[in-house]
Amino acid sequence: MTNHTLGLVVFAISLSVVSEPTWTHKLKVFATAEGSRLAGYAYFTPGGRPHQAAVTVTDADGNVLATTITDDEGRFAVEAKRRVDHHITVGGGDGHVATYTIKADELPDRLLPSLPASLPQTGEASKKILPALPASDADWRAFIDQSIARQIRPLREQLDAYQEKIWWHDVLGGIGYILGLGGLAFGLAERRRRMDAHRSQP
Amino acid sequence: MAHIPDGVLSAPVLLVGAAVSLSGCAYGLRQLATERIPQVALMSAVLFVAALVHFPVGLSSMHLMLNGLAGILLGWAAFPALLVALLLQAMLFGFGGLIVLGVNVMNMALPAVLCRALFVALSCSGNRRRTLIAAGLAGGIGVMLTALLVALALALSGQEFATAAKLVVFTHIPVAVIETIFTAAVISLLLQVKPEVLGFASTEMNDD
Repeated sequence: MTNHTLGLVVFAISLSVVSEPTWTHKLKVFATAEGSRLAGYAYFTPGGRPHQAAVTVTDADGNVLATTITDDEGRFAVEAKRRVDHHITVGGGDGHVATYTIKADELPDRLLPSLPASLPQTGEASKKILPALPASDADWRAFIDQSIARQIRPLREQLDAYQEKIWWHDVLGGIGYILGLGGLAFGLAERRRRMDAHRSQP
Repeated sequence: MAHIPDGVLSAPVLLVGAAVSLSGCAYGLRQLATERIPQVALMSAVLFVAALVHFPVGLSSMHLMLNGLAGILLGWAAFPALLVALLLQAMLFGFGGLIVLGVNVMNMALPAVLCRALFVALSCSGNRRRTLIAAGLAGGIGVMLTALLVALALALSGQEFATAAKLVVFTHIPVAVIETIFTAAVISLLLQVKPEVLGFASTEMNDD
């Protein structure tokens, strides 16, 4: 291989490496569990929705639980059959990929962690799966509290992670302030010194 | 604990703190040579970050103060360096109040200046071991003096001195021990790499 072709190859490789992060937008997915229905949408930041993008739902071990495609608004919905973590992956088909995880805790209690060997559709077996509905007012209140707590838990975790991130930003920002202030002081002092020197020897 | 929050200290203590810190900053800036400004800024950044890194000591958590080290390296310029570091800590993280900023700066910077004097008196430019012992002493004494000043500020604001002092001083002993070692280690490194920062000529040092 001559030096010339080697140079071309290096150039092509570096171009492909460099061009990757220059995508101007990033695909993101958001989903919530509404009962056992996992509904959400994929979107691009800063704007736009993917059309007919493939949606794959897998469990923690990578087993595919469901597949679907988004509509023209980027929306999708799948039914959860088991109470496990659902990793929803949306692929834009052009290299964009985004994943969102719905934790098992966010899914209703009546779903079992694993599917029973024979689906208990009838009789007492299905009764055992469905929790009894609350009987009294107090029970209802407890039921609602419990369900809200479950829904807002991921939100709280996210806020927590966000706070942690902001802490780091503040630390870096503070260091930047100090170094900037030092630089400014240095520049001003240096300028004054030069002007003094200039004045003393005209 | 070196970060006293707002609303704890009485007005006279606040005024004294503000006056001392202002004059200290003015003097520190006046006698600061231009080419040492970057060094002061770097030390200020280190002071800012040091107080954010908490490590567990017994039941509570502590952080390094490094005012002894700042004093050795900066002398009177420790005042402006600490002012900037503490101001940013108060504004970004709520460590210590803004009205008591003067007192907090004074509590850390006065010991720093004293540590500088101690270091200059004890260290010997040709004697490495003696210099390191002086540095370690300055690091530990800086912390303990700050703890005492905090206790004094609390006492003058109406809290019982003995209780406050006992509490503040005792909780700072582990920090003082750590800073003794840390300061000696930093100075040891500087002696090898950049002795001129300490005011020693690089040729004067020999291991002893």
